[in-house]
Amino acid sequence: METWNYVEYAAWALSVLLGLYMVVDWFTIDTTYSEDVLTSSREGELEAMTEESHKG
Amino acid sequence: MSHYVPPKQSKLSQLLDVIVLVTLTVGALFVPLWLNMAGSSKSVAAPVASPTWEALGQNAVQAAQYEALGYTPETAHDLILSRFDYSFTAGALIVMIVVIVAYYFLMLKFSESEYREVISEKFGDN
Amino acid sequence: MTDFDITSAERDGMGPHGTKVGLLRVLGPAHVWALGVGIVLVGEYMGWNFAVGKGGAYAALMACWFAGILYTCVAMIDSEVTSTVAAAGGQYTQAKHIVGPLMAFNVGLYLVFAYTMLEAANAITAGYLISVVATMTGYTGELDQRPFIILVIMFLAWLNYRGVLATLTFNLVITAIAFCAIIVLFLSTSGILGGGIMQHAALFEGHELPYGWIGVLAAMHFGLWYYLGIEGTTQAAEEVRSPARALPFGTLAGIMTLLIAATLTWYVCSGVLPWEFLGDGVNGSVAPLFDTARLSGSNALIWFLGFGTLFATLASANGCINDASRAWFAMGRDKYLPAWFGAVHPKYRTPYRSIIFLVPIALIFALGAPLDQVITFSILSGLLEYTFMPLNIILFRRKWPMGSIKRGYEHPFHPLPAIVLLTICAITFFAVFLGYGTQLVAMIGFYIVVSLWFHFWRYRFVDRGAQFTMPWPKPQGY
Repeated sequence: METWNYVEYAAWALSVLLGLYMVVDWFTIDTTYSEDVLTSSREGELEAMTEESHKG
Repeated sequence: MSHYVPPKQSKLSQLLDVIVLVTLTVGALFVPLWLNMAGSSKSVAAPVASPTWEALGQNAVQAAQYEALGYTPETAHDLILSRFDYSFTAGALIVMIVVIVAYYFLMLKFSESEYREVISEKFGDN
Repeated sequence: MTDFDITSAERDGMGPHGTKVGLLRVLGPAHVWALGVGIVLVGEYMGWNFAVGKGGAYAALMACWFAGILYTCVAMIDSEVTSTVAAAGGQYTQAKHIVGPLMAFNVGLYLVFAYTMLEAANAITAGYLISVVATMTGYTGELDQRPFIILVIMFLAWLNYRGVLATLTFNLVITAIAFCAIIVLFLSTSGILGGGIMQHAALFEGHELPYGWIGVLAAMHFGLWYYLGIEGTTQAAEEVRSPARALPFGTLAGIMTLLIAATLTWYVCSGVLPWEFLGDGVNGSVAPLFDTARLSGSNALIWFLGFGTLFATLASANGCINDASRAWFAMGRDKYLPAWFGAVHPKYRTPYRSIIFLVPIALIFALGAPLDQVITFSILSGLLEYTFMPLNIILFRRKWPMGSIKRGYEHPFHPLPAIVLLTICAITFFAVFLGYGTQLVAMIGFYIVVSLWFHFWRYRFVDRGAQFTMPWPKPQGY
């Protein structure tokens, strides 16, 4: 076994870890928060906010 | 104008839409590959038997750079002599122009009718 | 709030829409520059040299400058529209407000494909580079490139998932290093510092225009590669602290950086490498700047340019993940795509579902398709997008003439840039036709099919009036 073989295994392992991190976090978030909160983002909020601050 | 209320889409239908899109995308990339119609390849029109740098049309400086890169006239033969073929038929060119123009025309026409609907709902009819 | 100057002269009384979790506004102009240049700079490290193969070194220089004009028009037009329409989704959102929903859907797909394909191409190149490093350090076996390709995509997706500020700060650092590498290579090989190794005249002798003038046209195809992706700066619109100022500044500074980098790259590489070798990006020079460093005889330059190449591919893939996920997210939010994608991560404030979804898509292309095919798919999507831009700006100026809404930046000489852009796009379509006519037609066939799908099926889920979110007056002529 040469060093580069270990590097290959390390790359596989790290890829799996990063992938797992994202998937686990994704499920945690999706089960903790309601869909309404998660998808509440709307386009043009900045414009709306500037408008509010001008009125207020 | 009456307000358009879009139907709520079920999870399953959302999933189906994604599958349709992904299938079409992968298809667009891989179908030309499978049909072997992809890409333009280079070919050597007139091979040179027992090549030298002069026979390959390389001057002293060019030959020196090739040698610095680790080539010999033999190994550089295909690299140096292969050329693209840029010939095409007028028919194929016309087909391409028609396809592109038709695509943008279709796009703008459908978009315009949808856009009028958006504007009239957003700003009212007058 | 006072430095937000995207306000309209006339308001329609729209209030906040009730966003509970939105994207985070943390970026400055330097991040916009890093996003734009970071995506593109890899084009100087690999890929542009296919233009040399298409028509010779002079043809590549002409293509470089013509494509430079094309992209200067793109950057000017884009800066004007986006300094007014500041939302994630960039050109997609512009198209939605200015041309219409179907065009917007198509533009959104152009964006996602151009960036995802480019990301795949970058990952392939990074995998190749690591195998070169392995060989250089004395490894004799055949290195499996797949784990490295996957790792690149996974790591950058993870970075993007965790937050936009870290992602683009990372991009800023590695892009700056890659850009410096080009400058250092130029200074140390051109004779400005120490002895020069440039031999343009002798290398060009007898090979000035090997294909004649048609080669110059054909070179335009890969001439785009010098700059492809600079228009991606607009995707950051919703995450920039002051979009009306930062976006035009970052984009225009970006295109200037690239014009310099592209010309220097051409100068350095064509003065050292014979055109047949330089022009063959598969069997000849895969990474031309790196090959130039190899012939300079300096080990320091070889390592510097080697890292420059690796950093450029990482920066590009990173920016692509950022941009593709924003465009996908914006379409999900408007229900152009399933609404599920329109979610924002409550802690990291990123479009996390879009980021995750695009990972396997990028992997399919990175592991399953050849590099030139992937690059062509990316270029074609870009080209369709640039053809849309002149139509977009002409309609924008017609529907909202100057003075009717406040613009953060107004581009000069309208409609000249639009006409120039349209003309150069037509030439580039012809160039693509010369080499990849079948793909061009297959690609447009694909867009026609998905357009019909959108018009007759998908559009029913879209709220008609509500997708128009800018506080603008009614467009003229409606």
